[in-house]
Amino acid sequence: MSETETERATPAAWRVVVVDDHAMFRSGVKHDIGGRVQLVGEGEDVPTAVAAILAAVPDVVLLDVHLPGGGGMEVIKQVGALEPGVKFLALSVSDAAEDVIGVIRAGARGYVTKSISADELVEAIGRVATGDAVFSPRLAGFVLDAFSGAIDVASIDEDLDRLSVREREVLRLIARGYAYKEVARELFISIKTVETHVSSVLRKLQLSNRHQLTRWATDRKLV
Amino acid sequence: MSAGEDRPGPVQVPPDVAAAAPALPAESSVQPRSTRPLGEAWIGGVCAGLAEHLGWSVLVVRVIFVIAAALGLAGVALYLALWLVMPQQAGQRSAPGLEAGARTGLRPGAAATLTPVDYGVASALVLLGGGLFWLLQSSAWALPAAPLLAGALAAAGLGMIWWQADRASTRELRRGSGWRRVIAPLLVHWTTVVAVVLGLAALAAAVTVVVTTVDGIGELPRMLLLLALAVAALALAALPWFLRVRRALARARDDALVADARADMAAHLHDSVLQTLALIQRQASDPKAVTALARRQERELRQWLYGESLGSATLAEALSGEIIDVEDRHGVDVELVSVGDCELTPEVTALVRAAREAMVNAAKHSGADRIDVYAEVDPELVSVYVRDRGNGFDLAAVEEDRMGVRGSIVERVKRAGGRAIIRTAPGEGTEVRLELPR
Repeated sequence: MSETETERATPAAWRVVVVDDHAMFRSGVKHDIGGRVQLVGEGEDVPTAVAAILAAVPDVVLLDVHLPGGGGMEVIKQVGALEPGVKFLALSVSDAAEDVIGVIRAGARGYVTKSISADELVEAIGRVATGDAVFSPRLAGFVLDAFSGAIDVASIDEDLDRLSVREREVLRLIARGYAYKEVARELFISIKTVETHVSSVLRKLQLSNRHQLTRWATDRKLV
Repeated sequence: MSAGEDRPGPVQVPPDVAAAAPALPAESSVQPRSTRPLGEAWIGGVCAGLAEHLGWSVLVVRVIFVIAAALGLAGVALYLALWLVMPQQAGQRSAPGLEAGARTGLRPGAAATLTPVDYGVASALVLLGGGLFWLLQSSAWALPAAPLLAGALAAAGLGMIWWQADRASTRELRRGSGWRRVIAPLLVHWTTVVAVVLGLAALAAAVTVVVTTVDGIGELPRMLLLLALAVAALALAALPWFLRVRRALARARDDALVADARADMAAHLHDSVLQTLALIQRQASDPKAVTALARRQERELRQWLYGESLGSATLAEALSGEIIDVEDRHGVDVELVSVGDCELTPEVTALVRAAREAMVNAAKHSGADRIDVYAEVDPELVSVYVRDRGNGFDLAAVEEDRMGVRGSIVERVKRAGGRAIIRTAPGEGTEVRLELPR
């Protein structure tokens, strides 16, 4: 995404597409953060979202987890094939762990709940746009829970066992409500290191073998 | 949610809604009978189902069946009998919001776990069975060829027909009208037709073998025997369909009951939403009250739609009950993240009470409008963290006169066998960490 290189210094210019099936929520987002990011499109279901994203090629897509036409996962899959540079931030009120983890595994770079404040949302958009991962306390909890085996997510396998001790510490602090900079201070590491740990957890979540198997089965209509 | 009923509040949750919603998945998960998981089946799923039921490895069960099968087809007969007796595994019900989401395509449908046949193991099992069989046949206890041949043919025929019966979906058969209803599924499922025809042919061959090899009876008894065997074979072949229709009827009755119950619950919930909306309109000038109302309503809906239980049988449930109460009374936002869960023993209850006290303290004194609560249960330790980003206080200076902190948090957890650690400083916020060894 070289054309946005110059805009990176001014976060106000992040180009954002909002995808949600509730018009009320879309206009709410517009009202809350419209002044601080550049809203370049919106979508209400999978086809309109994919069309809007491909037309605008934004930096970040705010993506509802539940969406007519196959859910947020489907949007990520369809866009990812054509515009791999677009980044997704999942946004949801309905926190079924397997759906959230599913959308992350499809390629979203973070997950926040709709009760997030406008400031936090703008910060999260910036973080995702610059290639970092955004873990809300809830997502951190889901990942830790999946790791401990309490949630029956079919998609979790031994890849998660390779979470390092440090990564688990970071996740645990995030689940306790610590912001990245507070995590950094607590563990005597830099914010950049925290971001690296979180991104690495995200990568491990996304790249486990089971996912390839699931996709393989889906492609062949076995499931 | 016992906490929800006795609390004074503008919106009352109908207790039966709260009680009934979490009960649905629990009911269907308690199944005394063993079932056949077709997703893991190689043939009929009998071995996989038995293994699940007994808690054994499925490979062990399969080996046992193969060995028994070599012993004069005893294992085969047992397998076929169990195939008939054990019902297919039914899909689990999830919360209505998730089911509706999956049905209307808002979320990807639940991916069925499909275990592919491991051909290496399968061929090893076949070799084992074949070898044993050959060994037995070349020994003194060899069985005569004719009954063996008849038995093998019958088993193969029945297996083929039942295998198709398991997999043909009833939904397809309801499409179309008139003669198309009969023909269309046959065209779509031509494999079914082929399998059924082959299966019937094998059965017929088995009957023929038996009839022709029986000695010392007259022509008429032979014809009668043929007739009886043919009828028996057809009845056996048709049995799965008959059983399935019976089960489908029972299931339809269950579905209707569940649908009724859900319609009632939906009506209750809609009533409570309407009530909340009315209250919000009346209190529009008080943003705090409106937020509290909206939050409470959101929680109720989410609990019902997405099956987030709010009972008070476990740590997480008890904590969320307390959180609702604290939010309502003190107008703060409390976010709960829990990892793992455990039973609510008296000690854990003490921990929950202490956590509540910490939340109330944070709500009253910290000035922060949001509190983060994190509960984690691992094999050795139950820990709860209550954190705010508010004023904080000087622990050494305040501790003497603040009975709340000392009495209801530190001492209470200590009595329960755990410990409480309070980290705070003026301007730094407060984090109360409660730990209880398991």
